[in-house]
Amino acid sequence: MNPMLEIQLIAAVTAAACAVPGVFLVLRKMALISDAISHSILPGIVIGFFITHDLASPWLIILAAFSGIITVVLVEMIQKTGLVKEDTAIGLVFPALFSIGVILIAQNANDVHLDVDAVLLGDLAFAPFDRWMVDGSDWGPKGLWIISIILLISLALLVAFYKELKLSTFDLGLSSALGFSPVLIHYGLMSVASVTTVAAFDAVGAILVVALMIAPAATAYLLTVDLKRMLLLSVLFGIASAIGGYWMARLLDASISGSITTVLGLLFLTVYLLAPNKGLIAVLFRQSRQRIEVSLLTFLLHLNNHDSLEERRVAHLQEHINWHRVRANSVLDLAVKNNMIIIEDEVVSLTDKGLEFTERALDYIMTNKDEKIEDMKDDFFLFRG
Amino acid sequence: MMSEKIAVAVDDLTVAYNYKPVLWDIDLSIPEGVLMAIVGPNGAGKSTLIKSILGIIDPIAGSVKIYGKPYSKQRDQVAYVPQKGSVDWDFPTTALDVVMMGTYGALGWIKRPGSKQKKQSLEALEKVGMLAFKNRQISQLSGGQQQRIFLARALVQNAAIYFMDEPFQGVDATTEIAIINILKELRKAGKTVIVVHHDLQTVPEYFDWVTFLNVKHIATGPVKDIFNDDNLTKTYGINYKVAVQQ
Amino acid sequence: MELTDFFTNYTLRTITLGTAVLGAICGMLGSFAVLRKQSLLGDAISHAALPGIAIAFLITSAKDSNILLLGALVSGLIGVFWIRGIITKTHLKTDTALGLILSLFFGFGMLLLTYIQKQPNANQAGLDKYLFGQAATLVESDVRLMLIVTGISLIILLLFWKEFKLLLFDKNYALTLGFNTRFIDGLISFLIVLAIVIGLQTVGVVLMSAMLLAPAAAARQWTNSLGVMVGLAAIFGACSGVFGTAISASQPGLSTGPVIVLVAAVFVTVSFIFSPERGILFKQLRLIRNRRELELKKTLYFMYDIVRKHEDVSRPHAIRILNNFQGFTKNTLSQLAEKDWITIQGQNWSMTSTGFETAANLYNKNLPEP
Repeated sequence: MNPMLEIQLIAAVTAAACAVPGVFLVLRKMALISDAISHSILPGIVIGFFITHDLASPWLIILAAFSGIITVVLVEMIQKTGLVKEDTAIGLVFPALFSIGVILIAQNANDVHLDVDAVLLGDLAFAPFDRWMVDGSDWGPKGLWIISIILLISLALLVAFYKELKLSTFDLGLSSALGFSPVLIHYGLMSVASVTTVAAFDAVGAILVVALMIAPAATAYLLTVDLKRMLLLSVLFGIASAIGGYWMARLLDASISGSITTVLGLLFLTVYLLAPNKGLIAVLFRQSRQRIEVSLLTFLLHLNNHDSLEERRVAHLQEHINWHRVRANSVLDLAVKNNMIIIEDEVVSLTDKGLEFTERALDYIMTNKDEKIEDMKDDFFLFRG
Repeated sequence: MMSEKIAVAVDDLTVAYNYKPVLWDIDLSIPEGVLMAIVGPNGAGKSTLIKSILGIIDPIAGSVKIYGKPYSKQRDQVAYVPQKGSVDWDFPTTALDVVMMGTYGALGWIKRPGSKQKKQSLEALEKVGMLAFKNRQISQLSGGQQQRIFLARALVQNAAIYFMDEPFQGVDATTEIAIINILKELRKAGKTVIVVHHDLQTVPEYFDWVTFLNVKHIATGPVKDIFNDDNLTKTYGINYKVAVQQ
Repeated sequence: MELTDFFTNYTLRTITLGTAVLGAICGMLGSFAVLRKQSLLGDAISHAALPGIAIAFLITSAKDSNILLLGALVSGLIGVFWIRGIITKTHLKTDTALGLILSLFFGFGMLLLTYIQKQPNANQAGLDKYLFGQAATLVESDVRLMLIVTGISLIILLLFWKEFKLLLFDKNYALTLGFNTRFIDGLISFLIVLAIVIGLQTVGVVLMSAMLLAPAAAARQWTNSLGVMVGLAAIFGACSGVFGTAISASQPGLSTGPVIVLVAAVFVTVSFIFSPERGILFKQLRLIRNRRELELKKTLYFMYDIVRKHEDVSRPHAIRILNNFQGFTKNTLSQLAEKDWITIQGQNWSMTSTGFETAANLYNKNLPEP
């Protein structure tokens, strides 16, 4: 294989390996734990390197991953003391550990094949040079082997514990009631995240690991709420960005990991704006429609509540409901178009359809079944707001 | 005892959270000088009603008048006791400091509280029986004591109308009695007191006026006239007796 | 480096002054970030500032740090607004939004930095310092900027002290009193972003957030007054800045950021453990003492149960009748005697009147409140 293909392959496999635990971190509102882990494994990596003298040694990975777990435990310990709020605990632990790592590197610059740039960006471009030789035959880049094995392990764990993971993510109470230990799953997930982070660290550096973990998952989460589909989509997004990023880096002659992150960012931006249901544009559109439709409901209810002629005059309504003329008119228009009201001599009255709609809507709200109003709107409205 | 003056007038008020209505077309007028409970099931919009009267939440329709004028012009007439759980009690401040906050509104921007404000605050602390705790860090106070601090903060505002959001939530029996005595004193002084209340059993004993609320406004009037099965059923449903037991 | 250098060397004095001022402003404003429970927002903002620095450099190809900081400010603010947009308009949660913006902006910034480094003509040297900070590159004009920003922040802080405190403690209440909470909120946020931006050159984007959090978190442990907390945080911040700079200057190749952060971490650790009221050590000691006290009182109560059956309270009883009581040891007995609750004569003990009263009160307290 040529180095170009190998780099892309490593990047793609790394992205896929990060995306899997990333989905669960995002769903469990622990995205920032990945930030903490990715920073605080640095001292583990440096110390591990002093011991093993090999950045690709499995011992180093285990040692560094262990320092990731220590971070999680430390954060939880500080939270438990109640001395500071939880996010402050995260914010205190990882910069301190990261600083230790950076200083260790600076102090031993000659011994360690790590420099500050590698810490932040990784060195994907050099990954193909570190090859795995068995009896003189070339088995390909070591990095590719490591990250592939980690991907396989986490996929195997995912398949084996899918039910437990899903349950403990969406319904913590039920999962402990059913006897799955949430603590075990929590630390299991943290271990997988730590190991993956250490392995990916080589390729993309400390901070960009966070992007590979969170961004594909967050992007997928804007498109689906189905766990399986979300996992699939985030792996796809990760791989696509890895390959896209590689080519962008070649084009600009800039850092590969920086480019991968930028592509991830662009992808997220696009989905953030355009996602069919949860994208910004869809949300703004829906909100403006809901605003007018809630106003319509309010207006109909007001008519329902007040029988007197005086209360139902158009001019009086505007003054009473305290709306600007424009809003009042657009609400009136919508109501007339949908045959909810009729206006005679500047006096508004509910039609039978309007009456039925109002009473059903009120019933749903009083019984806390608000979501049914949306369905009902489909039945009643000829024109939406 | 009660004049005909209207202290608070709510007109066609509709409030929605995320475009889901929580209060619908509320018409309500509260006469001056009453001690009124707002009752209704969970999610009925009791706190929301108070918050939208006070301008914390913007309604999508309707208006609120305090003594005939919008709230923004009548702030000095109104004092507010928020739910105890709405703030971080680990905040680095003392009981006296929290009570002093009640004077900030009258002070306006930038001006600092002086000895006059301190004196008022100490008096308010004394009234709620918390003078001995004035320099206590607020996290070291019990739930009942914290509630008294909040009440003292509202007393310092020296307003005509008091809005209180569940002041009896999580307080001990002694505090509950102390608070209700202060509220009754306020009414005697001609103030209007409006309380979001949970415990239906104590309504007749504590209050003279009541509003039933469940998304819609159901009834408002003297407790002796309208606090009956009919209105309770309308508000809580047929099983309201279960709600009373809680 | 000799210590005397510190006071004679002009450059060193400038740098020391700069880091002290920076530490002070970060501690001050960081207190607000911590109390607003927005500790990690600072992390996202500082990372988000990186592409701004790079773009400002690409546009002006100047190394004037003020222009670069302006770029940092703009892109930091864009980051803040985007985070708000993600949280309010989508179902993604705060932590995801922070992690996203932090890593995506930083990655984009790194892309630009590596792109700039490959440009043949650009005098690109020196942008690296924004990653981990290099206090040695501070010049007089930088320090002057820091002093001005700190001065303005201090004035705003003093002017709006009352409003800040009210908003931080009870936002809704502030609203009902007629204060424009959006303005106060915006002012605090803006000051925090400003502090982050002016710290980038010294501490760097990667570790800037710790500079905000650590002094404030340490200061919180020593006091229950907001004013003292802000003041202490400023002092802790200034000390971290000065010591950190001094240590990193004494060793070649050491960035200032990590050293300052470690010094600040020492402050935090010491505060967490040794603060008299909240510290772990004293809390643990109090816990042990309370547990002992409880054991003691249990024993006393057991004795009281024996004693009160008799007319004469001070009548001696044999020590061995206590043997089937679990909490009893020789040690508790002598402690009880020390407190003058009992007296011991040979193999007998008898309860004193104070002991009897204490035990009786103990019993009353256990009754539910009337």
